[in-house]
Amino acid sequence: MVSDSVAAVPIPSAANTKNPGKKKRTNRSAKLKQYKIDARREQWLNKGAVKNKGCKDGMDDDVHVPPSSGKHAKQELEKLETRRRGEEDDVLIHQESDSESPSNSPVSANSSVLCGNDSGTNFTGSSSSGGSTSSSSSSGGCCSGNITEEEEDEDEEVEEEDDGCLDDWEAVADALAADEKHQNSSHNEPAVETDSSQSREVTGGSGLGHPNSKPGSGGMVPRGSANARAWRADDAFRPQTLPNLSKQHSMPNPDRFFGGGGPWCRTSVPSNCPICCEDLDLTDTSFLPCNCGFRLCLFCHKRILEQDARCPGCRKQYECEPIETEASVHGGSLTLRLARSVSMIERNQYTFVSINVKAGQ
Amino acid sequence: MVDFARVQKELVECHKDAEGSGIRVAPKSDNLVNLIGTIPGPTGTPYEGGVFQIQINLPEGYPFEPPKMQFSTKVWHPNISSQSGAICLDILKDQWSPALTLKTALLSVQALLSAPQPDDPQDAVVAQQYLKDYQTFVNTARYWTESFAKTSSRGVEDKVQKLVEMGFPESQVRSILEAVGGDENLALERLL
Repeated sequence: MVSDSVAAVPIPSAANTKNPGKKKRTNRSAKLKQYKIDARREQWLNKGAVKNKGCKDGMDDDVHVPPSSGKHAKQELEKLETRRRGEEDDVLIHQESDSESPSNSPVSANSSVLCGNDSGTNFTGSSSSGGSTSSSSSSGGCCSGNITEEEEDEDEEVEEEDDGCLDDWEAVADALAADEKHQNSSHNEPAVETDSSQSREVTGGSGLGHPNSKPGSGGMVPRGSANARAWRADDAFRPQTLPNLSKQHSMPNPDRFFGGGGPWCRTSVPSNCPICCEDLDLTDTSFLPCNCGFRLCLFCHKRILEQDARCPGCRKQYECEPIETEASVHGGSLTLRLARSVSMIERNQYTFVSINVKAGQ
Repeated sequence: MVDFARVQKELVECHKDAEGSGIRVAPKSDNLVNLIGTIPGPTGTPYEGGVFQIQINLPEGYPFEPPKMQFSTKVWHPNISSQSGAICLDILKDQWSPALTLKTALLSVQALLSAPQPDDPQDAVVAQQYLKDYQTFVNTARYWTESFAKTSSRGVEDKVQKLVEMGFPESQVRSILEAVGGDENLALERLL
């Protein structure tokens, strides 16, 4: 039970993509396992408390385990029973999949030990919560530990049949989202680490027999899953250093100039020339003729240079005054040259940003 | 050549915010060179409650040259000619910037109504009265507002309609009515 996480640890991302895809199957095999454990526990309790008493659980009416019968016979019986119950449980899960919260508290774990049908609720939509239940309940029934571990071998056989790679992208995306949701919701609970490691055990299903891996895997696996997921734009935990793509590509609101509120603030580049209302092209947007930050298109700038050569934003004289007193063609060529040098700087910034985008994703 | 694309955009923008600012600009004819702007009199001034019409004429170089603005509603104000309605405002002259718009210019005119500058007068008589007998100035300004700015927009339309029904061309009626300050009888005399 402990060991399967080893397989998941070395390649966390691979294990992660594998895991959610198998969620459905995993749930089922986990259910099977849970029911076996529960049945064991009931058996043990029955043995300890009242002899030859039937099952406490209403659902387990058909479980009549003679306490003195042979072990193999018991196991056979349980297998049959748990499989059938696992199928029943499919229905149960669909009904109760939303009640996920109490599964991590020790009280509910105990109650699930006592009442067999509670455990069905604990396997909710996300595989990790199911894992937590199995862990807590197995630790609750410590005396039956030997038996469950023994039975694990048989479980693995069942699970390995289900163990296949998933090739459905949508399922992966759904599962990722579900996983993420669960991690956010149970962020403060201490059970999270063991949660995911246990769930890996349940899902991994291949590398049995590495008993030393549990402490490390508990810490590693969640981290791996965090690394492997892509950030959504509206994610609260998204690092702020990541550039926002939608912001990068969308031009500022063309109405902003007339809408008031600092039309020529330094940081924003208008998409239209505020003078002639024509669209600013790349050269125009990288053209900053005045220190006040007022931007305008090259045509309007040239026109202003021909007249009073004052910046429309701050009414100060443009810096390139002396040349402007010569022929207007020279003024125009000067502005073009200026624009080119300025635009080179800004293009470098753009490429820098795009490199960041690549690195961020 | 007037930049009509920009003028059109300005008109649209001004129309969007007409409820908030109370400032309206409408083309007088369909060539977008002659426009009529309206500003409400600022509250707390003798001009409160009045609606003042301003005749706007866009020069060839607009927006690189300032628009020509002139009150067509009679106003008693130190910086506005009580005869012609000419406005003494720096942004309409040397302090014009192409980044300003008709709306911002009209806003400035509205601000001028609430903050007269008698030291730089357009109408010397009004400025003298403002400096020497402020109370009389306020009374006169309020009287002018009551007489010319409150009903002028509707009254002028009524007068125009009356004169047009008499058989005069509408454009001529409007120009003469404006020239005589909205006096119906004077306009009729001139038309005849």
